[in-house]
Amino acid sequence: MKPKFLRSRGAKKFFRSRIATFSLVVIGIYAMIGSAVLFFDVISVDDTLQRVGPDSTPMFGEQSLEKRLRDVDFQLARLDTALNKKPEDVEPAIAELALAERTISTKPREELSAEIERAWVSYDTLAEQKDEVEFEAFDAKKAELKESGVEDREEIQRIAGNAADASVAELVASEEFVSSLAQLEQIVDDLYAPLTGWSAKLYDLRRSMGTDRQGRSIAIRAIFSIKIALQIGVVTALLSVIFGSLLGAAGAFYGGWIDHLVVWLYSTFSSIPSLIFLIVISYRFIGTEFESSLFPVYVAFCLTFWIGPCRIVRGEVLKIKELEYVQAATAVGFGKFYILLKHVVPNTMHLMFINFSLLFIGAIKSEVILSFLGLGVKNQPSWGIMIRDSAPEVVNGFFPQLGAATVFMFILVISFNILSDALQDAFDPKHVS
Amino acid sequence: MALVEVEDLVKHFPVRGGILNRVIAKVNAVNGVSFTIEKGDVLGVVGESGCGKSTLGKTLIRLIESTGGSINYDGVDITNLNHRDMLPFRRRMQIVFQDPYSSLNPRLTVRALLKEAITHHKIVAEADMEDFIESIMLKVGLRADQKNRFPHEFSGGQRQRIGIARALALQPDFIVADEPVSALDVSIQAQVLNLMMDLKDEFGLTLMFISHDLKVVEHFCDRVLVMYLGHVVEEMSCVDIHENALHPYTKALLGANPINDPDDRRELTVLEGDVPSPFNPPPGCPFVTRCPKVEARCNDAMPPLVDKGEGHRVACFVVND
Repeated sequence: MKPKFLRSRGAKKFFRSRIATFSLVVIGIYAMIGSAVLFFDVISVDDTLQRVGPDSTPMFGEQSLEKRLRDVDFQLARLDTALNKKPEDVEPAIAELALAERTISTKPREELSAEIERAWVSYDTLAEQKDEVEFEAFDAKKAELKESGVEDREEIQRIAGNAADASVAELVASEEFVSSLAQLEQIVDDLYAPLTGWSAKLYDLRRSMGTDRQGRSIAIRAIFSIKIALQIGVVTALLSVIFGSLLGAAGAFYGGWIDHLVVWLYSTFSSIPSLIFLIVISYRFIGTEFESSLFPVYVAFCLTFWIGPCRIVRGEVLKIKELEYVQAATAVGFGKFYILLKHVVPNTMHLMFINFSLLFIGAIKSEVILSFLGLGVKNQPSWGIMIRDSAPEVVNGFFPQLGAATVFMFILVISFNILSDALQDAFDPKHVS
Repeated sequence: MALVEVEDLVKHFPVRGGILNRVIAKVNAVNGVSFTIEKGDVLGVVGESGCGKSTLGKTLIRLIESTGGSINYDGVDITNLNHRDMLPFRRRMQIVFQDPYSSLNPRLTVRALLKEAITHHKIVAEADMEDFIESIMLKVGLRADQKNRFPHEFSGGQRQRIGIARALALQPDFIVADEPVSALDVSIQAQVLNLMMDLKDEFGLTLMFISHDLKVVEHFCDRVLVMYLGHVVEEMSCVDIHENALHPYTKALLGANPINDPDDRRELTVLEGDVPSPFNPPPGCPFVTRCPKVEARCNDAMPPLVDKGEGHRVACFVVND
């Protein structure tokens, strides 16, 4: 037996719209991930700070020679550093290296050191070989071009660069080189305890979107940010819609000094530019115990966002309270408060839906601005923080972090828009189809 | 026995303006109206748009607070009763509105609408609720299986029936019908009017029937109150309105009614002039600007309502002489 809600006319109408159902599923996935992070600590803040690979490397797409060599270099270097610490520090250093699911092999330390030594030799040979081939091809092409009388320096650089790339590709195609590279990667793999099943998938996930400038996992940071975004969006949008609507409805319905107070409040608040207001409130919390929580963000957003729903709901209630069904309710003998809650406020519900989705999206966007300025989320990643961190990367032509943050945000925002639109269509009793 | 007694009822709407939002003028919607309604009677109230008919009806059942005067209901002065003391009278006095579209909350089904009112006044026990709702719906000509529908699923006439059902659900003895048929098609008007007549007989209702259609009032009412700019200009029995009408305004109203007999042609008296502004009514008779029989004294003082016998009261110097 389905619950009553799912059998209602509105719900049937809602699920008939395929895109709305789809967006509901998408939001459901977001909500599940968000609550998994929030309540079950699937991803901790420490996870988002851990290095998982060489810096600024996109791990997806074609596995170029460059990428593979850098990864090997990274893995060997961090193990080598740990093993070369003072004897009493080696154990904790190695433990620290372990990624959540990938631990260092339990072989004796001497054996590990020997293997690393062997890997270094192999790595050096390969890297040198690669460099040699690359530079040789580059220089040869350059000389050839100069001889044939090409003057343009940029032109020479470009053509020579292409030639160098071609020779590297040739090298990668050679069987001998490939097998020694594969051998090297095998050695590195063997330094770790073997990964199986679920943990292997998690390890792949960590590296799926590449790493940022500090070698941290972009995927993990983007997924962790879902929690932050949902928290900020839901809390601020819900609180501002509830408080704003109730204030606006009460003001319009009771009139008199209550209305004067509400109008004075919202015109005063809206005369302060909201960004300045947000900055001042966030600044006020610096140095207090709430500084590193999301509390300042909630306060700042709620204080600025309640104005929108308040204004719109007040206007609507001014209209509704003159309608005859409100008079009819008075004639039946209901109290004013009952009429307000039962007959007036439910008829502004569609406005609350619209405002909720607008504010939800607005909160996520404002969070980006505040975090970009360093006043929003602190000590944990969020999409705003990711975008801020990606600023120097973008200058160098490295986009995965910016892309991940914006795509995650975009999907959530557009799903939410479609959902609220469909909900409004489905549950507006006047809308027949 | 009089059920409703209204004494010198006044309602002024303040008009605010200026920088300090002070009261700069007032609209005199109802200006010292007195009348009584006998138990079981139907009182018609007629007059042109803006003459204060609806305000009178709503002030009477205290949807609008009066500025002055008193309202006696069944011997009790209800003019200044507070919310709690008013509650039993709320049940006994109901209203049917003009616009069947804005008078029903779009978010409540018929059942929810009726149940809410019935529960508030504990008319029947919870166990008998469904039967009671269905019986009311049948009484007003709706099918019982329509009770879970929303108002937008009904036509205008059906919605007006829902409005009547809401009023009847509280088992009132007095209903103000505020132009209940003027928003409906002519064919539906007749149905709704007949329904109201049947219900009046069945439940022994007393009605105040506000309309601007003298034909309907003549057909439906026992007595009629003719209003002009917030004043009662004539009150009389509905028997032979055409012969008995005395006030020039009533005569003009009757003259404006078409007669369905092509041979019965008469002189058409069209009223000249404009209705005076309700912000600033003339000191004398309000009808002075349009009256065909105007005299000098009409400008100076408001003519009193004079009883011409059998409860026929007229407010006109010329007629009363």
